[in-house]
Amino acid sequence: MQSTAPLLRVVAVGSVDDGKSTLIGRLLHDTGHLTRDQLEAVEEASLRRGRKGIDLALLTDGLRAEREQGITIDAAYRSFDANGRRILLADAPGHEQYTRNMVTAAAGSDVAILLVDAVHGITAQTRRHLALCALLGLREIIACVNKIDLVGYDEQRFREIEVGLVEVGAGVGCHHVTVVPISALEGANVVAPAETIPWYAGPTVLDLLHEIDPPMADDAFTMPVQWVVRHDLDGADLRGLSGRIESGAIAVGDDVVALPSGVMSRVARIDVLGTDTDLAAAPLSVTVHLEDDVDVARGDTLVGVDSAPPLSSRVEATVAWLDETPLVPGARMEFRQGTRYVPVIVDSLEARLDLGTLRHEPASALEVNDIGVVSLHTAAPVVAEAYSSNRARGAAILVDSATNRTVGVVILTGTAAAVA
Amino acid sequence: MATLTELSTLDVLEAEAVHVIRECAAECERPVLLFSGGKDSIVLTHLAVKAFAPAGLPFPLLHVDTGHNFDEVVAYRDAMVARLEERLIVASVEESIAQGRVQDETGPRASRNRLQTTTLLDAIAEHRLTACFGGARRDEERSRAKERFFSHRDAFGQWDPRNQRAEPWSLYNARLKPGEHLRVFPLSNWTEVDIWAYVEREGLELPSIYFAHEREVFERDGMLLAVHPAVERYPHEKPFTETVRFRTVGDATCTGAIRSSAADPREVLAETRASDVSERGASRADDRTSEAAMEDRKRDGYF
Repeated sequence: MQSTAPLLRVVAVGSVDDGKSTLIGRLLHDTGHLTRDQLEAVEEASLRRGRKGIDLALLTDGLRAEREQGITIDAAYRSFDANGRRILLADAPGHEQYTRNMVTAAAGSDVAILLVDAVHGITAQTRRHLALCALLGLREIIACVNKIDLVGYDEQRFREIEVGLVEVGAGVGCHHVTVVPISALEGANVVAPAETIPWYAGPTVLDLLHEIDPPMADDAFTMPVQWVVRHDLDGADLRGLSGRIESGAIAVGDDVVALPSGVMSRVARIDVLGTDTDLAAAPLSVTVHLEDDVDVARGDTLVGVDSAPPLSSRVEATVAWLDETPLVPGARMEFRQGTRYVPVIVDSLEARLDLGTLRHEPASALEVNDIGVVSLHTAAPVVAEAYSSNRARGAAILVDSATNRTVGVVILTGTAAAVA
Repeated sequence: MATLTELSTLDVLEAEAVHVIRECAAECERPVLLFSGGKDSIVLTHLAVKAFAPAGLPFPLLHVDTGHNFDEVVAYRDAMVARLEERLIVASVEESIAQGRVQDETGPRASRNRLQTTTLLDAIAEHRLTACFGGARRDEERSRAKERFFSHRDAFGQWDPRNQRAEPWSLYNARLKPGEHLRVFPLSNWTEVDIWAYVEREGLELPSIYFAHEREVFERDGMLLAVHPAVERYPHEKPFTETVRFRTVGDATCTGAIRSSAADPREVLAETRASDVSERGASRADDRTSEAAMEDRKRDGYF
């Protein structure tokens, strides 16, 4: 039986000035996770900046440049407990120019909190963030219509935005959008229900963080091999394959195959950090012993024989481009999937996603923060399973071998036909 | 033989930390684990041992020794290294001072905290280290809340917080140019409470100063500092005996004690859960100098 996840990864997104940092400060404050000295420091910092009252945003804007400019540049991570569940919250930057940092924070998250300013309503950045959340497979969105106090707690205004959000969500592929009217500044509907909003009887933000069950983990067993541990036992040279189970579960006796080599064997023993077990599931770090002494090493991925994905050296993908140097067809880079690096050439750039209209348009290059559809040609076959069917298998990054920077986030969509 | 049971938060955090440790060990040529004798680095060492068992650690430990340590901590360090049969490199701030690399501060406010950075960067250069595991946690301080698991440092040891590498999912990028290195933080998502819960669960031994004991202390800036040969007192700072424990363990000159009767991990855990003062607020004088004190030190290459 699937148990409730003990740890929920949440990312807070939205336009600049929509109040993400304030909401996070409010969540920490109203759930009693702020200590006296932290509060005093924020009070002092607020006064020094001439704010009236405590500016809770100063809690998470941890960099000097962020506090000076009053914006969030890079994601800050905070954690707190909600009814026995650990919430790991990433405060993502809202500025368009830092979209790449938002993508970093959202990849791997289970749930997004999307902030919308009740005064400004849905903006291009709201659409962009919803599209990015859909692309990264975040199926649950808690949309907060913030600063409801500034529109006189007007239900009509809220309903307009609510309808718009659900519509945009459905358009980009986010089908679970729950909309809540809040005032992060006043704490309305963040932790406690708001008396100022009598027409809303739904859950608060914290209620939703308690209740939401993250989408079922992808069930096909996947374990990239990180490390081969060797040791002598009574004269026998034993080899264990260490790695983290990224999806699914594995049991002693299961037939597995190592990709890309295709070498097959059967699981003889599973060691979870010193404890032998019959069965282990994601996200545990384990050491797997196989029945046969086969050649498997770092870079290989163990999967179940029954759920082995196709391999291909030509794949289609959606790429979020993170680098200042644009991506152009013919570019050579390294493709990292699981624990393996493979040289890659961008065969073609099919389209660029216009984040304003959410339409695909022809393009000759992807600029920083752009999203596009590409065909990739890898120097050796890679796992060609779509991200939508298994996140662990369909995710990759692009690394520039000259600068060593992580330049692209890759969402595999399938195999591609060879370019003539 | 155990079967699949419901996972706890600690199980998930443990698996994540081990994943990060294995990634770094596999991708980096010469990693080292920064060991201070504090609880976080003790937990980190324990996780590293588990990550590679039954084989030994594929990297040595490195202690940046300020020469102003608590005796109990140095004794703990030596006993632990002997028990684990692992390698330990000691980089000495006293030697850096003797060589004229840094100048020792003087007076009652003197601290070697900042000097450690030079000693650490010299050790990284001398041993051509490519990665340093650190026990830093994001809940400790707000500039740490911004840091990646794999945090890149340029050839000058500097952190550029405005231009960090993307780290989507857990596809870490450990690529380096000559002279550069990484700081790697497997405990990023742990809290102080998690550390104590894990110490209790795993039955880890800690230096005795983490638990209530009688000690000669004096008060400064609302903190209790230990009477210690390295700490000069102002005339009005009169020592007295108090039952205390330390929440963090660092240089004796800037680590404050708290009044406590918690004698074992379970009692400390209960006290930590109930505390309304943060770990750093309670015990680190070094972070009180300015709003961005930690960020500034981190940019320069501090842990």
